[in-house]
Amino acid sequence: MAKDVIRQKINDAFLRRALKNFAAAYPVARARAFEGLDFEELRGRISTFKQEGLRNLPELVARFTTSAERAGAAVHLCTTPEEANRTIHGIITSRGADFLVKSKAMTSEEIELNHYLEERGVRCLETDLGEWIIQLAGERPSHMVMPAIHKNREDVAELFSRATGRECPPDIPQLVQVARETLRSGFLAGQVGLSGANVAMADSGAIGIVTNEGNGRLVTTLPRTHIALIGVEKIVPSLKEALDVINILPKNATGQKITSYVSFIKGPTGGDGRELHIVLLDNGRLRLAADPDFSEALKCVKCGACANVCPIYEIVGGHVFGHIYVGGIGLVLTPFFHGFDKAEEILKLCIGCKKCNEVCASRIDIEGLIVDLRDKIRKPAGQKFLFGTLMKNRKLFHATLRAAYLAQKPFQSEGGRIRHLPLILNRETANRSLPPIAERPFRDLALDKSESRVPSPESREKVLFYSGCLADFVYPEMCMDTVASLEALGYEVSFPQKQTCCGIPARYSGEMEVARDLARINTDVLLEPEADYVVTICPTCTMSLRHDFPKLLSADPLWREKAERLAAKTFNFSELAARKSGARGAGLGAGKGERISVTYHDACHLKRGCGVYEEPRRVLTELVGVEIREMADCDKCCGFGGSYSIKYPEISREVLRNKMENIAATGAKTVAVDCPGCKLQIEGGLEAAGTGIAVEHSATLLARRLAES
Amino acid sequence: MVEQFTTAAEAVGAEVKRFPTLNEAVAAIRSRAGGRAVATSALPPPVRSALDGLDCVPAGALHTAEIGISFAQAGIARTGSLLLALSDPAGRSATALPPVHLVILDAATIVADLSALGGTLGALLSSPGSAYLSLITGPSRTADIERVLTIGVHGPKELHILIVEEN
Repeated sequence: MAKDVIRQKINDAFLRRALKNFAAAYPVARARAFEGLDFEELRGRISTFKQEGLRNLPELVARFTTSAERAGAAVHLCTTPEEANRTIHGIITSRGADFLVKSKAMTSEEIELNHYLEERGVRCLETDLGEWIIQLAGERPSHMVMPAIHKNREDVAELFSRATGRECPPDIPQLVQVARETLRSGFLAGQVGLSGANVAMADSGAIGIVTNEGNGRLVTTLPRTHIALIGVEKIVPSLKEALDVINILPKNATGQKITSYVSFIKGPTGGDGRELHIVLLDNGRLRLAADPDFSEALKCVKCGACANVCPIYEIVGGHVFGHIYVGGIGLVLTPFFHGFDKAEEILKLCIGCKKCNEVCASRIDIEGLIVDLRDKIRKPAGQKFLFGTLMKNRKLFHATLRAAYLAQKPFQSEGGRIRHLPLILNRETANRSLPPIAERPFRDLALDKSESRVPSPESREKVLFYSGCLADFVYPEMCMDTVASLEALGYEVSFPQKQTCCGIPARYSGEMEVARDLARINTDVLLEPEADYVVTICPTCTMSLRHDFPKLLSADPLWREKAERLAAKTFNFSELAARKSGARGAGLGAGKGERISVTYHDACHLKRGCGVYEEPRRVLTELVGVEIREMADCDKCCGFGGSYSIKYPEISREVLRNKMENIAATGAKTVAVDCPGCKLQIEGGLEAAGTGIAVEHSATLLARRLAES
Repeated sequence: MVEQFTTAAEAVGAEVKRFPTLNEAVAAIRSRAGGRAVATSALPPPVRSALDGLDCVPAGALHTAEIGISFAQAGIARTGSLLLALSDPAGRSATALPPVHLVILDAATIVADLSALGGTLGALLSSPGSAYLSLITGPSRTADIERVLTIGVHGPKELHILIVEEN
């Protein structure tokens, strides 16, 4: 993605404010809309019948076609955008028309219908207020549900003044009235109307359309010919499934219980030469539905919730974060609908926080699909060497990190932190100081330690410590704290020296083979010594060992069994520590005098990658003995995302800024985290801003407390 | 159920009034629509005859109507929604074009939620021939400019629901 476009969006004050306000308001409205409903159950059902439908999509298309034709509609299945455009143009000219009045249809954006028709002398009028605004501006939607969210009232007033030839003041009710009056003649004059549809029912041949403004009903009522342009994946077996979709859509899209209008249209109504044409759009969908790895993307009901909660969308908006379809699912659908060349840059923009997965109306693993798609795009020069040669060879990789310790020396300031990197790297790290690579990584310190260890007399649970590279080479003291805490809690801890990178950086960069090799190496290293648990202090490593290894190695039954065995005994530090919270009694946590307050930041990969968020809080309150002052959006990404913060420093910085504001608002002087990456990012930002707020891993806070008592 | 319906409908900007008899509801419509151009959708015969004498616009001039009058098949308590079967385009226009929409709703037809309406919807959609059903919840609305909620874009600006609680 061109850096100047990203910078322009970041500096667009209105866009930033609009998206930030929406990001704050949306979860509240959404929660209210779902009150009394079991979201997980509902979306589970949708996920199941959608996936089922995709398995038999050609059959579903055939059934729908038969039913719709029986009801009097003409159905046209179009393979390509060109074919769909040509078909629609043919219908319009067959009616002797040269004017098309439209309600909102993302499919029409997908095939660039307006452009096609206007080149052939057919005038198109968008009547959805947001769509009309962007049609007048000559732009494309920046959100699937709120297409003009990037436009302010002044922009709209200017566009409307130009379109109507009269001065329109920047007053929202007045602007809405202008739209009503101006577009009314369009509805009345329209010879042909075009709509999309949110759902189509195979049993009855009816389609369902969900709208708020009322233009959808006018477009499908006043013109004598109605064309509905519908993606084939919108077909569900019957009304029962359709009602589930209609139930979840408005709640997830805008936080409305239901939209003002839901219309069910079956066949052309009114007789008298009226026609209903249903143009079913394939455009890669039938092939995608049969793809074993990516078909689940088509479960999407186009609610846009993945954009609503995305921390990156919140910073850059839909003109950067997407192509025609925007948000997380837009990144996934673009290569299949518009080609991999259009998707190459945008697929890199996801930071991997998994927030979208949490709200997806059909429980799509959006983030997982994005990561898997990166394997299919062109890799940047040099990446092959970095992953294929360097990271696969543990000794070479670790020797390089040791060399980096010497190379960084000239840039360290007093206190050892790095504030300015040389040359081009400098801009990238502005507003954030960096910790240096340690003189002695933890793996060296562990060697000293194991020699002096006295075997414990009691029989203790054996734990293998998998530190992760960042903690090993940058935060060795965090690793020492982990060992000290776990030993004090009654575990026997050892550190297998042959462990190496968990492979996530390779996987996130689309180097699946390298990730697979690293998974095999680590699986063997961690299964060889007899142990009850493997413990990690990096949530990304935890997630990798628990979920990615079995997935990466699933093709080979032997390796899959091993990976699953490892996954079953892998835990995050907070999980193992929390198990001892009851046993140690409240005495430890109570501490002396008043409890100090910390605020807690949930790492994305711990909360959503591993489902762990309660245990860390128990460790802090019961074992460390502090009080937690929860911050707003405690589980929203800090903007680190591993190499993301180097690839997209401007975006990373803005995401971090939001996090820092939420931290400051709690008044706490310490931020507790369970992730060395979050610590690096947040500490760097807080220090550069001179806030005096410390960021500590829970293991460090616990080790300190245990040393005191 | 009527209470819940009323609360939900009012929450989305509809105006709800309750009447003990159909006659009183019709009288209220007459007094509201008297002397103004009206358009109607398919109405039960007693309602239609009770509204005789109102200034109904001709089919070709539906856009000049100031008030649309319709009769709901059912209501949804949870969301304050109305179900209208509007397979005649002219009748549909009567609920879509005028700035004011008056709807009569029989309290006995109110169901708990959308899924409870499934049977009715299913029956209407599975009968042979074409169909056009609308669920209407509050007046027409938009938030497309700066996400500011604004009432009355293309559809009715006012939605008046007249609930009849006869029997």
